[in-house]
Amino acid sequence: MSKETYLIIAIVILVSLLVTFIVSFVLYRRTPVPKGCEHIKISEENCSSCSHEECSFYKGKGEE
Amino acid sequence: MQIMISFLLAILSSMLIDNVVLSRFYGICPFLGVSRKVKSSFGMGIAVVFVIVLATVICWPLYNFVLVPAGIPFMDTVAYILVIASLVQLVGLFIKKYSPSLYKSLGIYLPLITTNCAVLGVAQGNTDQGLCFLSSLANGIGTSIGFLLIIVVFSCIRVRLESSNVPKAFKGLPIALIVAAIMAIAFMGLQGLFAGIQL
Repeated sequence: MSKETYLIIAIVILVSLLVTFIVSFVLYRRTPVPKGCEHIKISEENCSSCSHEECSFYKGKGEE
Repeated sequence: MQIMISFLLAILSSMLIDNVVLSRFYGICPFLGVSRKVKSSFGMGIAVVFVIVLATVICWPLYNFVLVPAGIPFMDTVAYILVIASLVQLVGLFIKKYSPSLYKSLGIYLPLITTNCAVLGVAQGNTDQGLCFLSSLANGIGTSIGFLLIIVVFSCIRVRLESSNVPKAFKGLPIALIVAAIMAIAFMGLQGLFAGIQL
């Protein structure tokens, strides 16, 4: 195969990778957030009084 | 048989001696961010193993059979980032759909796998060093299992630290960094483990 053919194949593959990323991104956004995870973000007001130890923002007793 | 032994030794070497976190300082962000709980660190480790191994399997042929023959090997980083970002989105999609507890545990750190430089570092390192496919695969498997091992061990230590009497000035991140440094020194002791073995 000539170099031009390889170049065209490479461009097609790179574009298809980009399309795959966009499709997976859209699907990820469209997938409903599981129950109880709707507002996963750090909130000083809520996190300071929360005792849910499995949460990734839980700092533990007296830490920091 | 010799190939199999070399493959296993290469995995052990990448996992213990040339550990991605402790010797190359890749992936420090999830290493410190998701190591408070053993369960979430294990989940993150498994997700990173999946992404690194798949990224290695996809990126090596992409570079050697597509980018190099086309004369555009300089596009490797862009191509690898696209592959890794797509894989992370797919892993995230799977976790969001089928494992809400893990989704809750990982929280904002889930998309961080994309920016985990260990993933890109392995893919880039494999092609930069000119490794063959099997060596690349061994490097990918070893590096990712090494990351999983270190993050789980580190989270176990951090869980114990929470109930121990740490001076106030060292509580939280400072003591975690000191522990990471001691772990790095301990792993340095493994250098030369396979020195007498011809790979």
